[in-house]
Amino acid sequence: MKKLTALALVLILPFMLFAQGGSESAADDGTIRIALIIENTIDDKGWCQSMHDGITQAIAEMPDKKIEYSYSEKMLPVDAGSIARQYVAEGYDLIIAHGAQYKNLVLEMAEEYPDVSFAFGTSSEIGPANVFTYMPESEETGYINGLIAGTDTKVNIVGLVGPVDSGDAARYNRGYVLGVQSVNPEAKILVAHTGSFSDYVKSSEVATSQLGNGADILTGSSQQAIGALRATAESPVAMWVGQDLAQLTTEEGKAKCIAASAYNYAAVVKELVNKVENGVLGGECIPMNFANGGFIFDYNPDLKAEWVSPELEALINETIESFKADPEGTLADWADVDYSTL
Amino acid sequence: MLAVITNMLSMCIPFSVALLLASLGEMFNQRAGVFNLGCEGVMAMGAFVGMLIPFLAGHGGAVSEWYNLLGFAAAAVLGAVFGLIFGVITVTFRAPQGIAGIGLQMFGVGTAGTLFRHFVGGTQSIPGIPDVDIPLLAKIPVIGDIFFSHNVVAYLAYIFVPVAWYILFKTYWGLKVRAVGTNPRAADSMGINVSRTRYEALVVGGALAGLAGAYLSIAQAKMFSDTLISGRGFIAVALVYFGHWHPLQIMGGALLFTLAQTFQTIVQSMGISFPYELAVMLPYVLVIVVLSFTSRNQTTSPTALGKPFNREIRT
Repeated sequence: MKKLTALALVLILPFMLFAQGGSESAADDGTIRIALIIENTIDDKGWCQSMHDGITQAIAEMPDKKIEYSYSEKMLPVDAGSIARQYVAEGYDLIIAHGAQYKNLVLEMAEEYPDVSFAFGTSSEIGPANVFTYMPESEETGYINGLIAGTDTKVNIVGLVGPVDSGDAARYNRGYVLGVQSVNPEAKILVAHTGSFSDYVKSSEVATSQLGNGADILTGSSQQAIGALRATAESPVAMWVGQDLAQLTTEEGKAKCIAASAYNYAAVVKELVNKVENGVLGGECIPMNFANGGFIFDYNPDLKAEWVSPELEALINETIESFKADPEGTLADWADVDYSTL
Repeated sequence: MLAVITNMLSMCIPFSVALLLASLGEMFNQRAGVFNLGCEGVMAMGAFVGMLIPFLAGHGGAVSEWYNLLGFAAAAVLGAVFGLIFGVITVTFRAPQGIAGIGLQMFGVGTAGTLFRHFVGGTQSIPGIPDVDIPLLAKIPVIGDIFFSHNVVAYLAYIFVPVAWYILFKTYWGLKVRAVGTNPRAADSMGINVSRTRYEALVVGGALAGLAGAYLSIAQAKMFSDTLISGRGFIAVALVYFGHWHPLQIMGGALLFTLAQTFQTIVQSMGISFPYELAVMLPYVLVIVVLSFTSRNQTTSPTALGKPFNREIRT
């Protein structure tokens, strides 16, 4: 038994020394170490990819800083604790758990490791001193897409395939409704949720249902929207407005997606890195909006001429400018949208 | 209103095919006395391989229908291999079927995701197979949209239901399958090779589960992602109990479940004031409620279901 114990200690000791040494060296040479924990993959053309792309872009845009970056994919909240602790042990300075589902984990770990900075979103809560939150005010991007849908619909029926009615998806969806109504009060807006962020089949079924009921412009949020976009591509007449620029690069996006907006997480990540470097580890919520560069909007170059009239483009530009001028007030009533009245 | 109802019903057949095929496969497994909770994993592998072949052939663009057919064939073969592996584990080595099934599910989903990342990369779509209007019949108002305007595989899957019934109840092989699932010792004493019959049923069940997965990736969603199956393999297992191990009743269960799915979508889209969370739950609640009421009727269940057979041990 003693031999076994001694052997175990001999085996464990180098790992403990290695872990501690790694942490110190990282702090000494000024390297900022960022870890990302996500529930899907870095190439899901949606939620997770946008954060991964944002981090890599931010690193590229800050060449003067030494930043190390690692990520862990397909981490369910119950599994994420072990990998997050591993990152802490390896000396990571900033651990981003990308999703509100990680809230409890982050709060628990923040208490356990007060010297490490954590971030999770979407959430508008102000967390502990070492927890950042971020909240995309995506009613703005939804509103822009709603302007396009409400203007371009030929049958006055548009569709919306949502995942769950919470967080930034709820904001995007309600912004979309407000956008459609602002340019086309007569339009019927079909809203349905799949109950899942990643069930592509169900989102394609919901989209097929809405197309069957006459909708000719659809949108959707989160990664599950790819399934709805694929279903839309089957329709000879229906078009799509996207919630992620990656959708413009897909085959069906090239043919069907008139325009798309995206979260520019690079702005958030840069702010997080600067704050951590200056000793601010949390206690703040970082909003994302057009005003602070948190959103990007772009058209499909192949479809713009046909689907975006100069008047519509002018309206979109004007609206984005109004968002930039007054990010707090323009869509302050987004939460009042009631789907049952549509 | 008629248009809305027609739209709802027209989605039932194509959207129920994956569940139907997987359930029929699971029915053969369970009729032989083996329940395979790994159906989800086999479907995931089938979906991946089914999509991979047309994707690689066309790099995401249009391909000959033969590549789609090859995708279905490969998915069926891979599913059969998975059925064979499950047979080795549960029939030859007599491992607990529930645990082995969960292992197979995790292995299948994990392997499909890993191989997908290696060979394809991120979420990708394919052209898939188109819907086919059956001449004249598709033009019949209402009926045409509901029954005669779907993809070829959907028609074949529904034609397979009476075929499965015939195989199970009217052929010698079907009799052997039912015998080894009901009383394997008696079947053994009558000269039926219990292990071999169970292997055969598992191979058939695996092939059908593979086809079900390929249907999702080639014919329905026309894409693949790690989360494509999203629990449909487990629903297929539940539908076998729901349908009392009978092909026609399983078909009814698959249609009812899909009808509930499309109904809740319509309820949401029409802006009817009803919490969407409850609407999304509706199909699952329906299955549980029906199972609760019908589970008392155990007369049709394979009595040796889940029990490994060892001819050397008398129980």
